[in-house]
Amino acid sequence: MLTVIVSGLAIGAVYAAAALAYNVMYSTSKVLSVTTGHLCMLGGVFGAWFIAGLGLPIPVGLAGAIAVGALFGWITEIVGVRRVLARSDEHLWLLSTLALATMIQQAVGLWWGTEPKPFPRLIPQDFSAGLFDQKYWLPILVVILMAAGLELFYRLTLWGKLFQATSEDAFAARARGIPTDRVRSLSYLLSGAVGGLAGFTAGQLTFAFFALGLSLTLNGFIALAVGGLGSNLGALVGGAGLGLLSAFATYLFGGEYQQTIAVGLLMLVLLVRPEGLFGAKRVRPV
Amino acid sequence: MTRGRAKWALALVFGIVLVSLPYWVRDLYQLHLASLIGAYWVLIAGLNLVVGYTGQLSIGHVGLLAVGSYCFAILAGKLGLDPQLSMAICGALGGLVGAVLGLPSLRLPGFYFAMATMAFALIVTELSLAQGDVTGGGTGLSVPGFSAPFDTPWGNYWLILAIGTLITWLTWNVACLMWGRALIAVRDSEVAAASVGVGIFRLKLTVFIFSGVTAGIGGALFASLQSYITPDTFVFEIGLFFFVCIIIGGRGTILGPFIGTVILTALPELVAPLAKFGTFFYGLTLLVVVLLIPEGFGRLVELAVARFSGEPHRSHEVRPDLVRLGAALKEREVAS
Amino acid sequence: MRPLSWMRALSICALAFAAATGAGAQEPIKIGWLSSLTGPLSSAAIAENQGVQFAIDEINNAGGILGRKIELLTRDTAGEPTKAVNLAQQLAFSDKVHFIIGPVNSGESLATGPILARAGMPNIVIGAIDELIDVKKYPLAFRAINTNTQWIEGGIGYGLDVLKRRKVAVIGDTSGYGTSSAKTAGELLEKAGVKPVYTVLIDANKTDLTDEMTKARAAGADVLMPWSAATGLMARLLNTRGSMGWDVPVVGHPALMALPIKALLNKPEYWENVFAAGYTSTTYVDGKLPERTQKLVDQVKPALGGKIDFTFWWVALGYDTVKIIEHAVKTAGSTDPAKFKDVLEKTTDLPGVYATYSWSPTNHNGFPDKNIVVNSANTFKDGSYEAAPR
Repeated sequence: MLTVIVSGLAIGAVYAAAALAYNVMYSTSKVLSVTTGHLCMLGGVFGAWFIAGLGLPIPVGLAGAIAVGALFGWITEIVGVRRVLARSDEHLWLLSTLALATMIQQAVGLWWGTEPKPFPRLIPQDFSAGLFDQKYWLPILVVILMAAGLELFYRLTLWGKLFQATSEDAFAARARGIPTDRVRSLSYLLSGAVGGLAGFTAGQLTFAFFALGLSLTLNGFIALAVGGLGSNLGALVGGAGLGLLSAFATYLFGGEYQQTIAVGLLMLVLLVRPEGLFGAKRVRPV
Repeated sequence: MTRGRAKWALALVFGIVLVSLPYWVRDLYQLHLASLIGAYWVLIAGLNLVVGYTGQLSIGHVGLLAVGSYCFAILAGKLGLDPQLSMAICGALGGLVGAVLGLPSLRLPGFYFAMATMAFALIVTELSLAQGDVTGGGTGLSVPGFSAPFDTPWGNYWLILAIGTLITWLTWNVACLMWGRALIAVRDSEVAAASVGVGIFRLKLTVFIFSGVTAGIGGALFASLQSYITPDTFVFEIGLFFFVCIIIGGRGTILGPFIGTVILTALPELVAPLAKFGTFFYGLTLLVVVLLIPEGFGRLVELAVARFSGEPHRSHEVRPDLVRLGAALKEREVAS
Repeated sequence: MRPLSWMRALSICALAFAAATGAGAQEPIKIGWLSSLTGPLSSAAIAENQGVQFAIDEINNAGGILGRKIELLTRDTAGEPTKAVNLAQQLAFSDKVHFIIGPVNSGESLATGPILARAGMPNIVIGAIDELIDVKKYPLAFRAINTNTQWIEGGIGYGLDVLKRRKVAVIGDTSGYGTSSAKTAGELLEKAGVKPVYTVLIDANKTDLTDEMTKARAAGADVLMPWSAATGLMARLLNTRGSMGWDVPVVGHPALMALPIKALLNKPEYWENVFAAGYTSTTYVDGKLPERTQKLVDQVKPALGGKIDFTFWWVALGYDTVKIIEHAVKTAGSTDPAKFKDVLEKTTDLPGVYATYSWSPTNHNGFPDKNIVVNSANTFKDGSYEAAPR
């Protein structure tokens, strides 16, 4: 029973990380990118490649994975979001990020292969550690730290305030001299780094697998929707909740209805409380 | 010949070409390909109203295709009902499932809705695998063809052609009439449309249910062409494929997505060695179209044609006829 | 749209359509090869492809069959049944091949079977699911690989009769192959008088198997039988068994002894006490391979870069499918499908590399039960294995 809880929390941590990445992107651009899950996937795949494939030392692999995540977050912004936001058509960014996500997934599948490949051991530890195995507590710890870090960033630093200003009213922010384009780029860079780091730490749990992206995009989104858009605490709660629910559902009913139950949760929350548990009610501009 | 007449003449020629296709096509493989395009088009024509006109980005319509296909396989195959009747029931079931999916999801904003449809597609695959007794689980089900006179490849093709024409005509009417304008209004600005009195949710739901019906029928046709379906047949990439056909063809037109369907179906067959790049290519095309030509290829063709046909400028400068004005003023002076 | 646009639309459609075509039939003997060179099970397909290509080159260099060269038309189905159906139709009607080998995946094969039967196209089947062969429904389909039942019976025989276990846990994955295999395994076990103590279907990408393994242990299982082609899942299963410290034997699908598992295991000793269904043709007896297998290994090795780091029976299977066609055409004296069927139905004990084949008018499964043997999973050497201890 305890293993169910721990493994549920661990995978929930990855979902929470994806939700955090969504939040960071949303905080400056009001865009939810389909590439979010793929950023986590890239962290895992490139981490495995750097350490196991190229034989680089682990801290270098870690930095590399974060860098790759940040790079692809930045690419998402430049290619998928910037030009599209300039037009007035509301949902083109969904299409462009969907296209980009498809391309990333297929390219990685072609290069890395379609089978999940092993992720190297990060901290020397015996495999019979059971519940205390690093593949469980590494993602949980890292994600909690990231959430705390992001909260501090928004509340205490100037750049955090700039992010918030850009999202609330881009025109006013520009009028005050804030370079909104650069702020947005930076936020995508940051969300890519968040995703990459999360994917790297969760690598031992998920293995380096190219098709993770789409599944994480969807599940991270469910975590986000349940927890509330814009709230980092909500992201953690939503992720944990989704992870635990999936784990218990699999334990009790077998793995056959996993997706159904996860989406059932989403629909339920959205019907009862559309803005999520910790989200703010959105006011629609007329 | 007036413009309208020319249009009708061309439509007639096009129609004759399509009807006579089994005779001038080279072999059964090309006929199969044409039938497949037709089956896809039945679904895409309905989906076009949802995605192209109303702007609801449903990326998981493959789930509805699967529902239609499995329904047909079970009714016509396992239970042995009349295939044509089964197809009609598939359409109805598709509409019902569309309603069940649409009711909670259509109220959600764009991204949420897209994710909900994607999740739906994954759920359908999961359920079809889990409910082994009904759906044959992993082994899948074999699908019978239609009964005479549609049981030959040519008969099957004509059935698909007839249904496709009917659906196209329906969507054409919707698009040209006030409904179509209402749909486009909802797509471009929901708030403005609501302020003019368009019942937004009801509109979206009706169109979505219609797309469910066409998906159900399309699923039945698709299944009989495949002759054997398994949960693996309905991968998420097919939903993406439908979506991309509409976007690259051009939202807001009927013919654009049709061209998109033909091109995207025929292309992998043409470039068989590039099969593994297939989905990457869809993503790339979608990205290029969204960034460079958001209105799709249909619009490109229109622009090219407008440039070549050298049609007279609708608007012309208004130049004051000073001589006449002067004369009129003089007259007035003289009169007063 | 303007009338001119209609003409453009029409011409685009016509062009796209008419261009999707192939050449007509001619002198050489054309063999179509539906292979999933990309996508799932691509490693098997790529290896089988090596065997097919090698056999064709060998036959063509020796002058072809009845003086006619063989032309191979390879089509990549990417593991998608829809593509497989389209490409099967293309090969049958556009390219007008004489024989078709494949597809590799059982899911694709289930879809192409009826289509090829309708087209009257002889088909050498290399998918394992039992439903692929039916003398009445698919009269021109003949199987070269073993059936799924043969694999499972081999594994069950070893687990029950040699290891003397009675409490079996059946594990499958959620794919088409996995679900039907788990079902078949359950049925065959009950026929042998043993009811499984625990059956579960696991998503092949599920990362943590501790729940399932704990439940299996709690149910009192004393042997695990996993039937899945997913190497990732198998590796995780063995890792979980190892970290639980549970020394239960594992007997199952050949994927248990695939080389990629070695890299995925946390510790090499996790591969001990693991047995998988294998073949007499790729099993070392006293350190030596059967003569025909060794011959093919020696011939193919240089083309593969001097070493074999994948399961060799795939290559042998690919090689044999072409040789079966060669045998049929030579004996029949033509490529006529009816004569093809007739010849193969009368063929007994055709010596191949992968197995010795026999078909009959009532049985189109050519693989004999006695060619199945159980191997020890961690004894990979140059593509073949050691037999499990008896």
